[in-house]
Amino acid sequence: MPILRETVTVEPYGDSAVMVSIPAPDAAARRCEIVAFRSRLLARRPHGVVDVVSGLESLLVSFDPLVTSFEHVEYAARLLAELPDSGTGAAQPARRFAIPVLFDAEAAPDLDEVAGELGLTADEAIERICRSQFSISLLAAAMAPMMDGLDTPRPVRRRAEPRTDVPAGSIMIAGVNAIIQPFPGPTGWRVVGRTPHTIVDIHRERPVSFDPGDLVRFTRIDRAGAARLDGAFLTEEGVS
Amino acid sequence: MIDFALTITDTGWLTTFQDLGRRDAERLGVPSGGAADQHSAAVANLLVGNTRDAVLIESMGGELAFVPERDVLVAVTGAPSRVTVGGADVVQWSPVLVPAGAEMRISETPFGMRVYAAVAGALETERFLGSAAPDARMGFTQQIARGSRIVLRSWFAGFPGATFPQALFRLPVPVPTFPAGPWAIDAVLGPDSARIRGIRELIESSTYAVTDRSNHVGLRLNGPVLHPEGDDEIVSHGVPIGALEVPHADELIVLGRYRTLTAGYPIVGFATRTALARLGQAGPGRELRFRWVERSAAAHAAATAEESLRVLETSVHSAFDALAPARL
Repeated sequence: MPILRETVTVEPYGDSAVMVSIPAPDAAARRCEIVAFRSRLLARRPHGVVDVVSGLESLLVSFDPLVTSFEHVEYAARLLAELPDSGTGAAQPARRFAIPVLFDAEAAPDLDEVAGELGLTADEAIERICRSQFSISLLAAAMAPMMDGLDTPRPVRRRAEPRTDVPAGSIMIAGVNAIIQPFPGPTGWRVVGRTPHTIVDIHRERPVSFDPGDLVRFTRIDRAGAARLDGAFLTEEGVS
Repeated sequence: MIDFALTITDTGWLTTFQDLGRRDAERLGVPSGGAADQHSAAVANLLVGNTRDAVLIESMGGELAFVPERDVLVAVTGAPSRVTVGGADVVQWSPVLVPAGAEMRISETPFGMRVYAAVAGALETERFLGSAAPDARMGFTQQIARGSRIVLRSWFAGFPGATFPQALFRLPVPVPTFPAGPWAIDAVLGPDSARIRGIRELIESSTYAVTDRSNHVGLRLNGPVLHPEGDDEIVSHGVPIGALEVPHADELIVLGRYRTLTAGYPIVGFATRTALARLGQAGPGRELRFRWVERSAAAHAAATAEESLRVLETSVHSAFDALAPARL
C-alpha cells in the first residue's frame, strides 16, 4: 500500500493563478516535495494549466480563466498530490560547480552593509559565503540559478529599495539563498560579488550548463584572475 | 503570398517586433513577456485579418513611420495617436490601406504609452522560445531601427470591389478609453492583505501616481502604503503578472509582463487580467485608482473581453469576404 502524502495547500493567487505549497513542518521536506509535485503537474498538465513558476517552497500555477477556474485547478492539484509515486523520473546525479567570484568594492556594493548587519567583517562574510555548500533549487528569472545553503549566522534581509540595474554575473544573497544575475537587470537582493563567467547564453542550444539539484561553491579570485576568464561560458570543467 | 519590404522611416524611443508573448516559458525561468497592452495588440492583428498572436510592431514615444513597397493593409491601435497616410488623417482602430510608396506616420500621444501597428500578413523576424517578443534582459532586443527594411509576407492586394480605395469599415471594435483623469484599475485581494491591517481600505481610498522609474518589469507607484508588522523574510515564491507588491520602501509596485518571476515582498492584491492592458498604457505621471473586485467578477470580465474579440474576428472576416480583397 503506497503511502499517501499530506495533501497540498492551494490558494487563489489573482484571477488566473493558484499557489501550491506543502504543509510540512520541516523546510527541507517542503522544498523537496514541491519539486516532486512540480514534476507530476508538468507531466500531466491539468486542463487549462498554462505555465508554472517555481518558488523555493511553492509552485505558482497559472491557468486560463476562460477554460478552467480556481476550483478545478485546486481539485486537480489535490488529486495529483495524492497519486502514489510511480517511481519514474529518477534524478540525474548532481554536478559540481566551483564558480570564481570577485568580492571587491566595485563588484560587491552591498557586502560591507551585509557584513555589518551580521556582525562580521567583510572578510569574514566572504569566508562564510565561500564555505557555503549551495544546491540549485530552481531556475529563476532569465534562467538564473537560485540556490539554497547560505551559511551565515542568520538570514540576510533584502534591500529596502530594489536596485534597478545590477550587472550580469552579480552574486546576490537574501534569506539563506544565493542567486547569480545572468543579465543586467533589477533586483531586491544584496549584491555581494560578481563572477566573470557568462552564466546564460541564449545563442547556445542549451543556454545554461546547470540544472536544479546541482551543487555550487564560490571561490575568491582577484582582478587578474577575473580578466583571464573574461566572460567565458560557465561549464562544469575546471572544478577542483 | 509574396515577400516585400516596409522601409522604416522613423521610430519611437523604443520600437520593436512584438507579439502576445512566450507560452510555457516561465517554467524555464523566462517571463512570458509580450505586448504590455495585450488587448490593443490582439485587436490590431484581428483588424487586418491576422490571428491575434501574429507578429506586429510596438512603439513607445516619438513617431513611428514606414513606407511599404506594395499596398498593405494596416491597423493602428493602442494609445490615442494622430495617424496619417501620405499626410492625410486616417482613423485608428480600423483597417487602413497604405498604398505602395506612401508613408504611414503615427505621432506621439499624451494619453498612453504604446501604439501597435499590425500589417495583414506575416512579418519576418527572429524568435526566441517560439516568440518574437523581445526579452531585453536576455539580450533578445528585437529593436527596429530607423532606415531598416522589414520583410512582410502578404496575401493582400487591395479591395477592387470597394467604391473608394480607402474602404470605410464599421466594425464592432472594443476600443478602450484613455481618460485624462485617474484610471480605474480592478484588482482582487492578495494573500498578504489580511496581514497588513488597513491596507485594503487604504489602497481603495488612495490615488497612486506612476513614477518615471517604471518600465516593462513593473510600474512603481507613489502613494500611501502600510507594511506588515515584524520583518520576517518571506520565502521567495512565484509572482504573477499584475501582482501588487509592497517592498520595504514606501511605494507600491505592480508587476509587468517582464517581471522577475520570483519575489519575497508582501503581495496585497493582483490587478485583474482585463485591467492589465490599461496598466500597459500607464506612463509616468498617470494616476491610478484601485477598485477591489471578486474573482468571479474578474473571470466574468475576462470572458466578456474574450467574447468581444471573437465578435470582432467574425465581423472582420465577413467584411473582408464582402469586399473580396484581391489575393497575392
